[in-house]
Amino acid sequence: MSYTITCPICGKRDLYEFRFGNEERGPYPNQKGLTPRAYSEAVQMHEAVGGIQKEWWYHRDGCGVWFTTWRDTLTGREVLQPEETS
Amino acid sequence: MGSKRLWKKTRLKKSYDAVMIGGGIHGLAAAYFLARDHGITNVAVIERRYIGFGGSGRNTAIVRANQRTQGNVRLYDEGLKLWATLIRELDFNMMFYNCGNLNTLHSEAAMGAARLAVCTAQLSGVRSELLDRKQCKELIPALNIEDNITYPILGGMYHPPGGIVRHDAVAWALAKGASRYGVHIHQNTEVTNINVEKGKVTGIITNKGTLKSPRVLICAGGYGALLAQMAGIKLPIHPLTIQAMVTQPLKPILNHVISSGAYHVYANQTLKGEIATGAHMDPWPNYTTNTTPYYMKHQAEALTELLPCLKGVKFMRHWAGIADMTPDMAPILHGNDPIEGLYLDVGWGYFGFKSGPITGKYMAEYMAKARRPQILKPFSLRRFEQFRHTGETAGAFSYGPWN
Ligand SMILES: Cc1cc2nc3c(=O)[nH]c(=O)nc-3n(C[C@H](O)[C@H](O)[C@H](O)COP(=O)(O)OP(=O)(O)OC[C@H]3O[C@@H](n4cnc5c(N)ncnc54)[C@H](O)[C@@H]3O)c2cc1C
Ligand SMILES: [Zn+2]
Repeated sequence: MSYTITCPICGKRDLYEFRFGNEERGPYPNQKGLTPRAYSEAVQMHEAVGGIQKEWWYHRDGCGVWFTTWRDTLTGREVLQPEETS
Repeated sequence: MGSKRLWKKTRLKKSYDAVMIGGGIHGLAAAYFLARDHGITNVAVIERRYIGFGGSGRNTAIVRANQRTQGNVRLYDEGLKLWATLIRELDFNMMFYNCGNLNTLHSEAAMGAARLAVCTAQLSGVRSELLDRKQCKELIPALNIEDNITYPILGGMYHPPGGIVRHDAVAWALAKGASRYGVHIHQNTEVTNINVEKGKVTGIITNKGTLKSPRVLICAGGYGALLAQMAGIKLPIHPLTIQAMVTQPLKPILNHVISSGAYHVYANQTLKGEIATGAHMDPWPNYTTNTTPYYMKHQAEALTELLPCLKGVKFMRHWAGIADMTPDMAPILHGNDPIEGLYLDVGWGYFGFKSGPITGKYMAEYMAKARRPQILKPFSLRRFEQFRHTGETAGAFSYGPWN
């Protein structure tokens, strides 16, 4: 089966229609008193989770919407939000 | 003739002087050189699956030393020169084929980037030159230099000393060499945690027991970030699946490694006659080694435009590995910070085959003396928080007709 991502507008589409927009990492850090290390943490370091994580995706070859979804990096498959599956 | 074991089977000991996590070329080389150059022989290489399971047995085997920045070129150039020595020393035919690499350039921006890379190489004493499109055609007669393709070729960057080395042979030879010095190689042994006490590494936990060791090297290729997490270290690494494939065997038509940044394709003809070709990475993190038809189609289209005689040729096999990409496309070679005794040899992306033995040599020195060798200075983990990236991303491969 080919890999898919579910766009909130277009529905389930081929993964290669989308652009990855990084793992969800919460709000951008406050500029005030931001040290180079904290800034680096925010923009360069990754959780690199082996398992399920929340991610940002952009429907590049489709409707152009940005959205978040959940994916398992050990299988490459989109999954339901963990709370819902347990 | 009975089959001969290349490395000895050994019992897992309770304690070692150094432990390498990952039985790829980097871990095996580091173990080999620790034993050979520093007399540290009570060493274990711990491998979850089997020697060469990771990138070391999946890469397209391209070696070269024409990187963008001088710090990188220095390391890769020494690495390139090391093959001949290793082949002799380990008495193992690694099938080093120094056929030269041609990077085709498809835009003025790429020509400009290549000009800088050629200057870097020449300043560093590495052979590299800029070719015009006719000279590219003289080098590879099968090349299409007409304007009838998506990205016509404007010129090329030619690097004569590069080529191909048989990757499995490298892994086996290093395992054999390390074992001869008494290094233990434990396959089917998974590291599940790294023990740290009061800021010092004390050993590892595996599915076969706990080992003590004052020195631990994380050299787990694409899985490196997962291992670093066990020690509480976050890395600027995205693990990206990268695919490669080979065609049916053909008569000789391609006697150089060819690569094109604009087409995201690199290819060479193996000594068996197959065209081995590597594709781009999926730009989203995965620890998977699954393949997708997307890249088969892409490779077929790109190769047909660049080398039209390949039209209709069949792909025979297709596989994938994981490239651990850093933001500046240069590795992280780091130690004793923030944890004493814990060393990192990660972030090699899709460049870690050519650099395996030479990096092993210097990581061994780093681990033996607890002092970073000069040549590894550009690759500290701290460069990211200092925003002192190596500049490697400005290589010609980043530039195409779109910029
Ligand atoms: C398709 C592809 C093409 C490439 N082409 C080139 C190329 O042409 N030239 C080039 O220079 N480089 C290339 N590379 C990159 C190169 O293959 C890698 O950078 C290199 O092999 C890394 O070697 P390594 O020894 O560090 O790691 P690996 O060879 O990946 O070895 C790491 C090992 O760690 C093991 N491991 C993981 N987790 C654990 C654990 N918890 N416990 C124990 N063991 C563990 C894995 O099983 C694996 O065997 C390519 C890579 C791929 C995938
Ligand atoms: Zn959509």
